[in-house]
Amino acid sequence: MVISAVRMIFLPLIALVIGVFFLGLARKVTARIHRRYGPPIYQPIIDIVKLVNQESISHGRIFDIGTILSLAGSIVLVLFIPFGGIAPLATSGDLLVVIYLMLLMPVGIALSGGEAANPNVSISISRKMMLALAYEVPFLFAVLAVMTYYKTTSLMEVVRAQQNSFWGAVYLPLPALAYFMILPAMLGIRPFDVVSAPQEIASGTAVEYGGKYLALTTIEHAIHTYIVVGLFVNLFLGGGNPFIFFVKMLIVFLIGLFINAVFPRLRIDQAIKYCWKWPTILGLAGLIIAYIVA
Amino acid sequence: MQLITILMVSFLGAGIVYLAGKFFGRARNLLAVLISLTPVVLISLTYNQKISTSFYSLPFLNLSLGLRIDSLSWFFAIAVAAIGFLSVIFSLEYMRNYQRLNFYYFMMLFVNAGMLGIVLSADFLSFYIFWEIMSWSTYLLISYKGGKAVAAGLKYIVMSIAGSVAMLFAIVNLYASYGTLEISSLASLLQTASPGYILFLLLMFVIGFGVKNAIWPLHTWLPDAHAEAVSPFSAILSSILVRMGMYGFLLIMYGIVGLNLLQRLGYGLLNFNYILCWIGAITIVIPIFIAILQDDAKRLVAWSSVGHGGYMILGIGIATSLGFAGGIFHILNYAICVATLFFVAGAIEYRTGGVRDLNELGGLIKKMPVTFIAGLAGISGLIGIPLTNGFISKWLIYKALIVGNYPFLAFAALIGTWGTILYGYKFLHNIFLGQLPEKYKDVKEVPWTMQLPMIVLTLAIILFGIFPGIPLKVISMIEKSFGVEPFSTAMFGMPQGIGELNTINILAAVLVAGGVVYLLFSLSAKSRKVSQEDSYAAGSFVPEEKYQYSVRFYDQVYRIIGPYLRDVVDDFYYWLARKSKDFFQVVRQIYTGNINTYALYIILFLAFLIFVKLGRSLW
Repeated sequence: MVISAVRMIFLPLIALVIGVFFLGLARKVTARIHRRYGPPIYQPIIDIVKLVNQESISHGRIFDIGTILSLAGSIVLVLFIPFGGIAPLATSGDLLVVIYLMLLMPVGIALSGGEAANPNVSISISRKMMLALAYEVPFLFAVLAVMTYYKTTSLMEVVRAQQNSFWGAVYLPLPALAYFMILPAMLGIRPFDVVSAPQEIASGTAVEYGGKYLALTTIEHAIHTYIVVGLFVNLFLGGGNPFIFFVKMLIVFLIGLFINAVFPRLRIDQAIKYCWKWPTILGLAGLIIAYIVA
Repeated sequence: MQLITILMVSFLGAGIVYLAGKFFGRARNLLAVLISLTPVVLISLTYNQKISTSFYSLPFLNLSLGLRIDSLSWFFAIAVAAIGFLSVIFSLEYMRNYQRLNFYYFMMLFVNAGMLGIVLSADFLSFYIFWEIMSWSTYLLISYKGGKAVAAGLKYIVMSIAGSVAMLFAIVNLYASYGTLEISSLASLLQTASPGYILFLLLMFVIGFGVKNAIWPLHTWLPDAHAEAVSPFSAILSSILVRMGMYGFLLIMYGIVGLNLLQRLGYGLLNFNYILCWIGAITIVIPIFIAILQDDAKRLVAWSSVGHGGYMILGIGIATSLGFAGGIFHILNYAICVATLFFVAGAIEYRTGGVRDLNELGGLIKKMPVTFIAGLAGISGLIGIPLTNGFISKWLIYKALIVGNYPFLAFAALIGTWGTILYGYKFLHNIFLGQLPEKYKDVKEVPWTMQLPMIVLTLAIILFGIFPGIPLKVISMIEKSFGVEPFSTAMFGMPQGIGELNTINILAAVLVAGGVVYLLFSLSAKSRKVSQEDSYAAGSFVPEEKYQYSVRFYDQVYRIIGPYLRDVVDDFYYWLARKSKDFFQVVRQIYTGNINTYALYIILFLAFLIFVKLGRSLW
């Protein structure tokens, strides 16, 4: 009981640390690829601490609640995703709950941003919604392939099954590849940063956020990065103990970053078409194979 | 006796309300509320009872008409009564400025009485009579507003009649074969019928019930009808009236034919249930993506109504303990959510002078907070956000599909949910968020009689989301009556054997996490409250009152999928209607109006008969 309570407190903190580390790393690595020096890796922490103490504006109650809801949803989600076998709430919700809780983040931000009458925010939200619809198609194929292959909806059992044999990516290469291909879209990094495109729509939903709002959404973004990459490691790379789990996450994130740092931004319609083409074909093919094999 | 009282009160009450309205408008309203409340009370008293009575006998057909109640009918009856009651309360203010109110209240109560009659019928003759009462009163209520509504009503009634005729054909056939129409005796008599005959019966009933439940491709009447009807009736129509089709499906498939026989209908994957499941999947995907493209608030909800019917079909089509639980629970959940949304759309219409166009609204959250909360709850329930009722039923359906190894059906169900998020957010954003147009600066919250139904339903959405055990207990009784292994229930979420879901833990986690974030939020530097328009446009000039940012919100998706989403079925029906008209024009030529030609026809016909007779004896 005590152990699980401690885990419940520590897991979100671990997620936060890893997520913030990834954010800092992403900026540094991208800068080096661009032959710039880049900010220090701990820059996001400096930003968050600074932002919390700055003055901000609010457009109303939903503006506040949406931001809080979005971060709270992500924190809850962390408790359902095993981190090297540690998952305090794994028996209270399965992969289906995880898929659903992943909704709270965009919906919360969308509600919050919607309260401001800012054209940039409206464009950004509509892009976020369309992009989510686009990448969910291959994502669902990939996740369903896993659930069909392992005949369970429980994330813990998926991880356990992989530890007794090879990784999921060995048996399900196509869904793993499909998930990997949409990873940048789920993370909202280039070339899929249509939602927060700074040069076009002034960072989109973030344009109205200042001070603590920006701090909360940065934290949220960090945890979201942890969730998306962590889910991939759980589903296809066999989990492992906390240290191995972290190393796997790091490798996945870095490979994704290397590939994507050199691409220019896509337009939203190109992004949708991309998601509905190769990742979807691979995901569907993977699901059909998993259905036949299982 | 209890059942007869319920129906008597409902039917006679409708008449009394009409008469009272002739004299005092006030008394009529009060009476209508009381009379719609009576069935709620009377039906809740019959909880967990099995009653059957006969109320009329037809000696020449050797039939007796009867009523009965069991867990399935109780479940539907209480939903009918409750939604009807709330809609009548909502009508009090909403309908204030309409004409012919006596007629309106009479029809509302009459439709409810008809629906109660359907679920309480113990034989197919009374079932059919009540079904027709419901269908025709629905027609009158849909066309109530006149204008476009009349066309919508006509479209509805033509399709409805086609369905009823198919059903009547099956009923007459049953009577001819077995000499009885009593549901309980048919259930045992049909067990020895040939599979071909069962398939014929099922197909006929599927057409009849499918039109009502608007399954693809029989759905085309629904969007027009829902959009054009007055909002309180749209709520009844969409939440519970179309689900009479689901009641019919459950009754004929599992109450009468039974699981054993159904499983023998077909070879391998090509069996009745599996095909029905795929029809359900198509019914989910196409209408939900059409809903994304709608700009009319009520049309949007109407298309979602078609789509969510697909989830219910999927649930009951899988026919496992989990599937039934999900499908039947979703009927209730969807009824609650969609009634809320039609009340919300109605409240907006009421305050903005009948505006339903999402491109003209916006920013109403500050003016109508209660309506916004109801809308948020309704949409969350439709999406199935955890801790709302829709989550539990959808979770059960997904789980049933994955456990039963139907990943492709599960994909259809899951992607439908993402479609739901898109149109759900559009509904909320375009009505309540974004800019507040100048002309709505003085809009006020709706009066309390309109708020009350919305608040009650909002509470129900959350209550059933956290304590799903309450309705699931009744549903497990229904399952027992179908001969399925009953679903073991727990108050919060699911018992261990079924799957990992514990709503109380999720609730606790959300509360704690929300609390922590809130703490961080309030400990940080205070924020300054500014008006909506005081926003940063990155250096560009945003003219006030000129643009509506949310017009064509999902245009890019529309450009990609729009061409594939034409309602081909509807086009086909219109083509059929045109061709039939041409054909009937030709047929009309036969009726020349000239006595001589008619005499000629008679003689020719007699000659034909004689020829046949002679021909046969010569053969």
